[in-house]
Amino acid sequence: MSRDQHKVLIANRGEIAVRIMHACADLGLKFVAVYTKEDAASGHVALARELGGEQALVRIQNYLDAGDVLSAADASGATAIHPGYGFFSENYRFARRVSERSRPMIFIGPSWRVIRDLGDKINTKRLARGLGVPTVPGSDRAIYDEMEAETIAQQLFDYQEKQGITRPMVLVKASAGGGGMGIDEVHNMNRFRQTYRRIRNYSQRQFNDPGVLIEQRIFNYNHLEVQIASARGGDDPVHFGTRNCSVQSPGRQKRIEVAPGFAPESLAYGFDAQKVMDDIVRHSLSIAREIKYDNVGTWEWIVTPKGEPFLMEVNTRIQVENGVSAAISRIKGQNGVDLIREQIRLGLGEPMGYSQGDVSFEGVGIEYRIIAEDTQNRFAPWTGRIDKIAWQPQPWLKLHTHVPQDRPYQIPTEYDPNLALAIIWGKDLTEAKARGAAFLDAFELTGVDAQGVELKSNIAFLREKTTDLLEF
Amino acid sequence: MDIEKHLEALSLRVSYARDILGARVSDRLETISEEIQALGSKADSLGLDEALAKTSELARKLSVLEDDLDALLTPMDKVRIVRHPQRVCLKDILENVYDNYTEIGGRDEVSIDPGMLIARAYITRRVGKKVIHHPVMVVGQEKGHGQEFRNGGSIKPWGNAKALKYMKVAALENIPIHAYVSTPGAYPIEDYPGAAQQIAENIYEMCGIDVPIVAIFSEGGSGGAEAIAMADKRLMFSHGYYSVISPEGAAAIECKFNGLTRATPELIERCAKHQQITAQDNLRNGYIDSVIQEPPLGARNEHFDFFKQLRSQVIHATDEVAVSVRSVSVLRRLAMRGSKQRKLGEDVIVRWELEPAERELLVWKRYQKYRKMSLQAYIDKRGIFERLAAKYMEFLFSVYSTVRFEILKHFQKKIVRVATDFTDEIHVVTSKMDRMTCQAMELLGIAPGGDGDESALTCLSEPASEARASSGQTYVSPKSLEDREVTCPHAGERGCLDIWARDLYGEFGGVCPNCGYHFPMEYQWYMANVFDRGSVREFNQSIAAGNPTNFPRFDERIMQAKEKTHLQSSCVTFNASIIGIRLTCGMLVANFRGGSVGAAEGEKLIRALDLARKRHHPFLAYIHGTAGIRIQEGVNGLIQMPRVTMAVRRYIEEGGLYIVLYDTNSYAGPVASFLGCSPYQYAVRSARIGFAGPGVIRETTGVDIPPDYHSAYKALSRGHIQDIWDRRDVRANLHQAFLTMGGRNLYYR
Repeated sequence: MSRDQHKVLIANRGEIAVRIMHACADLGLKFVAVYTKEDAASGHVALARELGGEQALVRIQNYLDAGDVLSAADASGATAIHPGYGFFSENYRFARRVSERSRPMIFIGPSWRVIRDLGDKINTKRLARGLGVPTVPGSDRAIYDEMEAETIAQQLFDYQEKQGITRPMVLVKASAGGGGMGIDEVHNMNRFRQTYRRIRNYSQRQFNDPGVLIEQRIFNYNHLEVQIASARGGDDPVHFGTRNCSVQSPGRQKRIEVAPGFAPESLAYGFDAQKVMDDIVRHSLSIAREIKYDNVGTWEWIVTPKGEPFLMEVNTRIQVENGVSAAISRIKGQNGVDLIREQIRLGLGEPMGYSQGDVSFEGVGIEYRIIAEDTQNRFAPWTGRIDKIAWQPQPWLKLHTHVPQDRPYQIPTEYDPNLALAIIWGKDLTEAKARGAAFLDAFELTGVDAQGVELKSNIAFLREKTTDLLEF
Repeated sequence: MDIEKHLEALSLRVSYARDILGARVSDRLETISEEIQALGSKADSLGLDEALAKTSELARKLSVLEDDLDALLTPMDKVRIVRHPQRVCLKDILENVYDNYTEIGGRDEVSIDPGMLIARAYITRRVGKKVIHHPVMVVGQEKGHGQEFRNGGSIKPWGNAKALKYMKVAALENIPIHAYVSTPGAYPIEDYPGAAQQIAENIYEMCGIDVPIVAIFSEGGSGGAEAIAMADKRLMFSHGYYSVISPEGAAAIECKFNGLTRATPELIERCAKHQQITAQDNLRNGYIDSVIQEPPLGARNEHFDFFKQLRSQVIHATDEVAVSVRSVSVLRRLAMRGSKQRKLGEDVIVRWELEPAERELLVWKRYQKYRKMSLQAYIDKRGIFERLAAKYMEFLFSVYSTVRFEILKHFQKKIVRVATDFTDEIHVVTSKMDRMTCQAMELLGIAPGGDGDESALTCLSEPASEARASSGQTYVSPKSLEDREVTCPHAGERGCLDIWARDLYGEFGGVCPNCGYHFPMEYQWYMANVFDRGSVREFNQSIAAGNPTNFPRFDERIMQAKEKTHLQSSCVTFNASIIGIRLTCGMLVANFRGGSVGAAEGEKLIRALDLARKRHHPFLAYIHGTAGIRIQEGVNGLIQMPRVTMAVRRYIEEGGLYIVLYDTNSYAGPVASFLGCSPYQYAVRSARIGFAGPGVIRETTGVDIPPDYHSAYKALSRGHIQDIWDRRDVRANLHQAFLTMGGRNLYYR
C-alpha cells in the first residue's frame, strides 16, 4: 500500500499529537485525531481542524479505552495507529490487538513481541547479559531462596569493596513490583536478612510472588540514552547518537536533555568519554539486532563516575526529547531530521533509505522543559493564569508550546506539566550553553494564581544547571 | 352413641382416602361416603343391632376398598401419604414402639429446632425368663401432625448439628441409634453453619460413629435425609419415599427441557415414577435392606398392629447389626436366620453394646456396605484386559505401598541416621584436607575460586527451573479466538474497561485486570496451567455415566453431553504433579450436564481416592462446577453422597491430605457431603458455594436472598471455606498448601 492510501489515527493528545500531525502533513499522510470532552478546546484539536478539517476529528470517551479508540479508528477508516508516548505506546497487548484483530491495522511502533520482551526489565537484563552487554551488578532473575539471596548480597558487598566504594549499598526490590513499590536499600550485610524478609513478605502479600531482585545501588551516575531507528524486519538498525538526560527533578523527571551524551572535545573527564559513548551505541545496536527491533526506540543507560556504563531499560516508543537528537543529526549531510516523521515512515513499512554511514552529527543540542513548578519547594506544580509568554525567535531555536501568546491562559489542572519545550543548537558546547543562557534570560513568563501568588517556574533552575552541563 | 363414633371414624377414613387420591375421584369411595351419611341421618330410627351390623358392613366394604386402592397407588400418591398430617410421626412411634423415653433438648416449639427430635428411649424385651433393657438413642425428624413450628420436618443446620451431637453421645455411651427419617429436605439457608456445611459434617462424622445405627425411612428427601440416615441397616416404610429431590422439584427442572413454563401434574407423576422413589424400587436397587409393611393407604396413629410390627423389625435389625460383628455368634446367627419366617427371632438374646474390636469391625462393615451400592448404575466400558490390568496394578500398588510405607519406613529412619552420622564423621577428615589444599594453593599464589566469583553478578545466570517449566502456553481457550470485547460485570461500579477476548481468555486467565472478577474458564485451562507440563495421566476414562432409572429421554441427553465434551462422565480423574509434588486429582467438569454427580462420577471419585490412598498421594478435588446430584439417576445419584464421603473419610483417616478447590458455581449434594467435609476447602474469587440456589430458597422458605448470598466471600465468613484464591495463583497456592498442610504423616514428605 502506498503512503497516500494510509490514514493514521493519532491515539494521543497535547504536544505529541501536534508533532505527529505536523509529521503526517509533511509526509502527505491523511490522519485522524481523537479528543475527549475535556480536551475540546485543546491545542491539538485546533490544529487537527486546521490541517485536516472537521472529518479529521473523532470524539471519544477515554484515551485509555482500547475499544473506544479502535472503534473510532474503524469509523474513520484508519489503517494505522500512532500511540505517541504514554497511553498505549508501550502496551504490547494493545499493539497485538491492533495488528491481530479482524480488521487489522498497523501499529506505528515496534511489533508487539518486541514491546513485550523489552517491556519486562528482567527479561531485558537477561537478554543483555546473554549478549555480553554490561548491566547493573546483581541478580538477573527473581530470587526465591534466602541462602541464594544472601550469597548474592555478600558478593555484591565484596565486589563494591574491591571497587573501592566507600559506602557500599545493595538494593532489594520486589521482582513483581515497580514504580518504587517494594524497594529498600541495605548498607551492610548484618541488616540484609531483615530487609530481604520484609521485602519478600511484602511482595508475597502484595503480588503473591515472593521473588526479589538484588542489585548494586549506584550513586552519582549520569543518565545517557541512545536513540535508535530501524525499518520493519529489524535487520539494519541505525543510531542517532546519544543524549545526556542527567538534569532531573528529585522525582527523577527530566528537565534538561543534551545531545550528544558527553563532550570530550570541550571538557575533561575522568574516563574515556568517547569510548563510553561508542560502547553504549555499539551495545544498544547489538541488542536491537538480536531482538529484531523494528521502529524507533531509546536505550537508557547509566554511567558511573568511573565511566562504567550499565544498561537500564529500553523504551520502545518515541520520547519527548527526540527533538534534541534530531537537532544534531544530519542525514546525507542534510539537517531538518524529524524522528517522528521517520517513525511513521518506518512504521508503515517503508525502507530506511539510508544507512549508518549516511548519518552524521554536528554541534550540540540542548532541550529545556519549561515547567510551572516551585523548585524551592520540592518542585510542587503551580497552576494559575499565564499572563504573558514571550521569547526572541532565533534561527538556532525551536520552541514547542501549547500556551497562546496573544491572550492570558489558564493552565488546566489535568494538562501536561510542560509549558514549553525549547531546543537550542550551537556548533559546540560553549556556544550552545551561551545561547541557552541567553534564551533563558530573555524568556518572559508571568502569571498569577487564584490566591494572588506569582507564577513560579523552573527557569532559574534551568539557568543554574546550564553552566555545568555535561560535566561529570 | 357408639354408632356415631364408629361412623365418624369411618368418614375420617373416607376423607383421608380422598386426600390421598388427590385429583382423582373413586366412585366406590363416594358411594361409601354417601352410605355413611345416609346411615348417620337415620341411625336413630334403626335398632342398635341393625345399625351396628350396617356399620360393620360399611367398615368391611371400606377396608376392601382401601385394599384395592392401595394396590393401585402411584408413587405420587405415596408422596401425598407421607406428607399427610395424619401420617404416623416420631412422637407416635416413641409412644408405641418404645417402652419408655425422655425427650432431649426442647419442649415442642421451645427448642433449637423443633423439627429435630432427640430422645433417649428404652426397649424392654422378655426373652424366656430373662428381661433385657436396651437403651437406644432415637433421632429423627418430627412433623407433629402438621404443627407449623415443626416446619414439616425440614431441618435447619443447627437441628442437624443437634442430631450429630447426640449421635456422638450415643457412641460415647455405647448404645445403638435409631434414626427415623421423615423430611422433605433440609432447610436451605446459609447461616453459621450453612446447610451444606452441616450436612457434610454430619455424614462425615456418621461414617465413623461406631455403634449400630438403624435408619427407618418414611420420607427421605435428599440431603436432609442423608444428614441422619447413614446406617448399618436401612429399613423403609412400605408407603414411604426416598429420593434425591421431591417429584415437584424434579418436574420443575425437567419442565425447561420439555418446553413447559410450569410443571404439569402429569410431568410430576412421570418424574415420581422414573426417579424410582418408592420403598419397593429402593429395595430392588439395594439402597434399603427391608420394607416394613404398612396398613393399606399408609400407617396412621390408630394402627397398633403396625407399631407392633415396626417394633419387632427395628429390634430385629439392631440385633442383626450387633450379631454381625460379634465374634461368638454362630448359633445366634443361625437362629435368627431360621426364625425369619416365624417371629423374627425374638427369642434370641443379643446385647447391643459392643466391644472395641467389634466397633471397629462395625465401621469397616458399614464402609463395605456402601461401597457395594449403586455398582449397577454406571457403565463400565473397560475390556477384560483393561480390567485385569487394573486389578493387577491395584495389587502392585498395594504391595508397593506396604513395602514402601509400612516396612521400609521403620528402617528408613535408622538408615538415614546412620548415614548422616557417617558423613559427618567423614567431614572431619575432608574439611581438614580442604583447609590444607587451600593453604597450599595460597602458598603457590593461586587465588581460591568459588565464593569470590564475581562473574555471577554480571553474567547471565541459569534460568530458574520454574521459569523453564512454565514458559510457553499450551492451552488456547476457544473463547480467546474471537475478536470481540467482553464487559466486566463490575464495570458500572468499578470502572473496568471492556476487555479484548483474546487478552481476557488468554493471558489474563479469565480475570478482569482491573477488579479481579473471574470469568469462567474451561477445565482444560487448569489442566494446562496448574499442573506441571506433561504430568497429567488420566485414568478410569471408560467409566461412563448412564441412565440407570430409564428416565424418559435422558439417554439422548447423556449422549449429547458425551459428544459435546468428549467426556464419558462429568468427573475426570488423573494423576499429575505440581512443582514436583505428585498428587491425585478428581475434577468435576461443569460442561458435562452441569457437573452433576451420578453413579459413574461417584465411582470414579472413590476409585481415585483409593488409588491416592494406596499410592500415598495427596488428593485434590478440583470442582470446576457442580450443580448437585444428577436428579435423573434418583437414589443412584443420591447415595453417592455417603458413599464418596466414606471413601474420603477412609482416605483422611489413613493420613491423606484432601484439598477441595471450588471454581464457578458449586451447589447442593456434593458440597453437602464429600466436598464440604474437607477440612481444607478453597475457592477462587467469583465462585459461588451453597446448598440450594436462590430460586429454590425462595420457593421453600419464601425468603428473597441478597445477590451475594452464596459468594465465596460469604462462604469464607461463614467458615465454610478456608481462603479465597486468585485463579492465576492457584498453582503457587496449591504448591504452598501441599508443602505446609497436614501433619507428619503426609505421604510425600
